[in-house]
Amino acid sequence: MNTSFLLFALLNPLFALLAAPLYMSLIRKVKAYAQGRKGPRLFQVYYDLKKLMKKEAVYSPTSSWVMRFTPYLNLSTLLVCSLFVPLVFVPEPAGGLGNIIVFLYLLALERFFTALGGLDAGSAFGGMGSSRSMSLAAVIEPTMVISFAALAFVLKSLNLHQMFALTAGKILPISPTLVLVSISLFIILIVETGRLPVDNPATHLELTMINEAMILEQAGKNLALLELAHALKQFLLMGILINTILPVGLSTEIDAGKIAVSAFLFLLKAGLLAIIIGLFESAFAKMRLFRLPAFYVMAFFFSATTILIEVFA
Amino acid sequence: MIDPLFLEGIIKILFVFVLISAGLIISTRNLSSILTSYTIQSFLLAAVSFLLYLIDGKSQLLLLAGLTLGSKVILIPYFISRIEEKIRIGRDIHFTYLEPTTSLMLSIGLIILSYSSLSKIFEGLPLSKLFFFGAVIGLSLTLMGMLVVFSRKRVITKALGYLSMENGVLMFGLFVTELPFIIEVLIVIDLIILVILTTILAVGMDSSIEEYREKVRKLQIWTGGEFR
Repeated sequence: MNTSFLLFALLNPLFALLAAPLYMSLIRKVKAYAQGRKGPRLFQVYYDLKKLMKKEAVYSPTSSWVMRFTPYLNLSTLLVCSLFVPLVFVPEPAGGLGNIIVFLYLLALERFFTALGGLDAGSAFGGMGSSRSMSLAAVIEPTMVISFAALAFVLKSLNLHQMFALTAGKILPISPTLVLVSISLFIILIVETGRLPVDNPATHLELTMINEAMILEQAGKNLALLELAHALKQFLLMGILINTILPVGLSTEIDAGKIAVSAFLFLLKAGLLAIIIGLFESAFAKMRLFRLPAFYVMAFFFSATTILIEVFA
Repeated sequence: MIDPLFLEGIIKILFVFVLISAGLIISTRNLSSILTSYTIQSFLLAAVSFLLYLIDGKSQLLLLAGLTLGSKVILIPYFISRIEEKIRIGRDIHFTYLEPTTSLMLSIGLIILSYSSLSKIFEGLPLSKLFFFGAVIGLSLTLMGMLVVFSRKRVITKALGYLSMENGVLMFGLFVTELPFIIEVLIVIDLIILVILTTILAVGMDSSIEEYREKVRKLQIWTGGEFR
């Protein structure tokens, strides 16, 4: 461990934790504008989280330790994940942190426990949500692995820190293939955060919900932690996409001024991406559940052809 | 002068989009979306041809780009969209043998298959990697078009599958063999004839001669009147 990394370990998760909920709000706001509404305030998600934190958690009588444990596990898993994605500056590599395979497994761990938590309360909705989430995960995970493999192949490293040290500060992506990888990453971002056309985050209609169904039985403090974890996951995936396609301004040195500029630029770029996501969501209708595998396979086909062409041509 | 390496990078990206458009033709259910995918695919081919002209400087490639643009991006899609309006079929949701998801998985297999077989054939030839991969994409496009022809039920979608196969041949020709220009022109004329024949088949495949005459009269395909 060096000082550069210690500083990173302090700054990066803190930055992610503080900024992540803002983009949940921003996307909602953009969607509201697209529908001709005014929408909630920009800091509404923070107020909601604060309110939920004060409330007591209520548990179903059939639930076990899994339901109590899941919110803490999810948030801590994603905090560890936030050590993998450089947002404010790229530190010198330390230990195994930044390894892309560990990152994917951490995300899988979070998904697994969310699904278990959904089953644990014993309600029909939770079980349905978990079942849907797991069967769809079986199709989207290969896509995710392939896209990250393509990223690793193009940037010649398995370590996210090393990859982004290579792209940091460039105005344009360093290889045209990265544009293609970014499209795959965008689809993954949409799917992983349960957004339209895959899942509708704004609904509690039993026929359509996937992600919301799994956390339906959670209440109070636990719900706040799960919501925060969800926001964090979205923010980190946005971070990977931004660092791949538009790495301009990302600092590689420890310098207060440069880090501040880097963080500020990141907030701007993430704001732009959030607006794009909001508009994307407004432009699509929810897909029927049984049509989703076809959509995922298209994404898989896309990333598979990308990696084929990158490797062979 | 633009850097050839940069142009090659752009061509690589276009390759991916050509394959994606072929994937969409295989899996989309909406007829007008399939037609749009075909139009985009042809446009991408014209763009590839134009970029190759920028790299090589052969005027034949420029002519080819123009021909593709005129016939396959404007004329043929216009004809087919007219047919689609007339026959009043919006979607092709029936598949034989293969569902679209399976077809897409199979297509990945086909791409790998064409790669491995072509790499054996071209082993001794002095072909640059990009040109070799263009041939691979061309061959896989042809095979994917064939997949469309046999997994789709409607005549009009089968015709689009055939057209996409022809795009594959054009791609193969662009990168490997260099077909004489006159043959390209003949192929385009063939395609237009094909589309006209499809018009006839698409509205009358299921009827007897008498019914067929009645149908053509009612739909006013040749006179261009409105369907009532």
